[in-house]
Amino acid sequence: MSVDGVPETVTAALADRQVEGRVCLEAGAGVGNTTAGLLAAGAERVYAVTNDADHAAAVRDRVGDGTADRLAVVEADLRATPLATDSVDLVTAHGLCNVLAPTDLDAVAAELARVAKPGGGLVVDDYAVPPADAAVTRLFALENAAARAVDGRPALTFYPPAVLAAVFADHGWTVERNETLLDPVPWTAAHLDAHAGVVRAYAAGLPDSLGEPLAAMADDLVSAIGSERTGRMYSLAFRLDG
Amino acid sequence: METRVLGETGQESTVLTFGTIALNWLEQEGANQMVELVLDHGVNHFDVAPAYGDAELKLGPKLRQYREDIFLGCKTQEREYEGAARKIDRSLDRLGVDTIDLYQIHGLEYESELDTITGDGGALEAIREARDDGKIDHIGLTSHGDPGLILDAVDRIDDLETVMFPLNPVVAGKDDGEYDYEAVLERCEAEGIGTLGIKAFAKGSWPPTDELAEADRPYANWYEPVDTPEVIRERFDFAAAQGLDTVVSPGDPKLVKMVLDAASRSEGMDEARQRALIEEARHDDSPVPEQLHH
Repeated sequence: MSVDGVPETVTAALADRQVEGRVCLEAGAGVGNTTAGLLAAGAERVYAVTNDADHAAAVRDRVGDGTADRLAVVEADLRATPLATDSVDLVTAHGLCNVLAPTDLDAVAAELARVAKPGGGLVVDDYAVPPADAAVTRLFALENAAARAVDGRPALTFYPPAVLAAVFADHGWTVERNETLLDPVPWTAAHLDAHAGVVRAYAAGLPDSLGEPLAAMADDLVSAIGSERTGRMYSLAFRLDG
Repeated sequence: METRVLGETGQESTVLTFGTIALNWLEQEGANQMVELVLDHGVNHFDVAPAYGDAELKLGPKLRQYREDIFLGCKTQEREYEGAARKIDRSLDRLGVDTIDLYQIHGLEYESELDTITGDGGALEAIREARDDGKIDHIGLTSHGDPGLILDAVDRIDDLETVMFPLNPVVAGKDDGEYDYEAVLERCEAEGIGTLGIKAFAKGSWPPTDELAEADRPYANWYEPVDTPEVIRERFDFAAAQGLDTVVSPGDPKLVKMVLDAASRSEGMDEARQRALIEEARHDDSPVPEQLHH
């Protein structure tokens, strides 16, 4: 049984890590699932870092009550946080890397290594590359096309675990374990709609002649897919050299 | 079919228990055929209750024919001595057997009921007396209610040997204590109490009767069940993988064959797959409908 709304994926990823009494950093706080997991597991302090004001507010709403003395929601760019060097025992990044373009991923890996104590831990949970023939792959491709049209870079990059291991190794992190969290990944209607929402948001920034068809295609894909179980979510645990 | 040790009862039950409420919806000949089908799949644990319409009567003929092959669970919703004693004898009479292997306090819902059951003149006195008289062998409890209340019962009934409670991916993914049947499972495992899982095949509550009249429900279950072979197999594997000693089949005869097939062919379920089912259902409403109050 997970606690306080913590998904089983988070509970499973933290199960073999020392969390109690530790200073933790959740990189990319999202809606606070891992922050809640770290607090529930007895973290002494959790820095929930996000560059999204809505996410910051969501995390405060989600877990702020009763944990204010142990929680700091930090609105910051993960490539340059205000956290002190060598200050964090355990870093977590749950579902973060897939929304980082490769150049950003490298900068984030460097920053996480900077703030972590020598010998500190890192848990990276992310999605393996979805099968090419999966229906959701078409939605993700559309999301990336819309993002590229607006920002010049993709919204999503699915890194194989070996690639993430190599990127973090460049910054002093050594893999301690690699386990499968979800197999298959359930892409529910709510998940698909959230991805379609990203497409719609990008589409709104484009000329109607381009944006409207993109948004319509996203909606059509969501309707056509309904839901799908495909791909895999993995968890890598690292230790920082030193 | 795989068998598992049922707590410390000394019984090795098949991982599937036949919920004989399904017999209530069949004519006697159909009931006989269903029992034969269940036995052909190797199932050795049957569960019945006086509350299941004519199930006791319809189970009787085949039960008597195959008595040695069947570990028989029965139940009582009576809370006081007189009623429970009467119901034990009535079930023995309707089933046409001398002994019930496992007799369960049925559908515990309220702390006050537990007080009555365990107090002077309570049902437990009658059940223990029946055990001393050789009418029953083991004592159990069933509940769809508050897991905390089940744990209280475990605390207060020191000769409790089995507990029956709901477990499925939706319940497993819920966080609040209201659905923490996993705590019950862990406690039972620690104390050597046998565990029987129900509602493994529950999809959700039926729509309100103004949207779907009771007569129009396609299944006799008091919850809406999952009903495709693939999903039934998945739900069975999930429930069996949680560590339950046995999983009880759903109440509609149309589903029993699919569940028998699932249990016979089960190859287990790894943790990533279990988590995937929980994750998929994480925001669903609980498919354990509110208990029918009595």
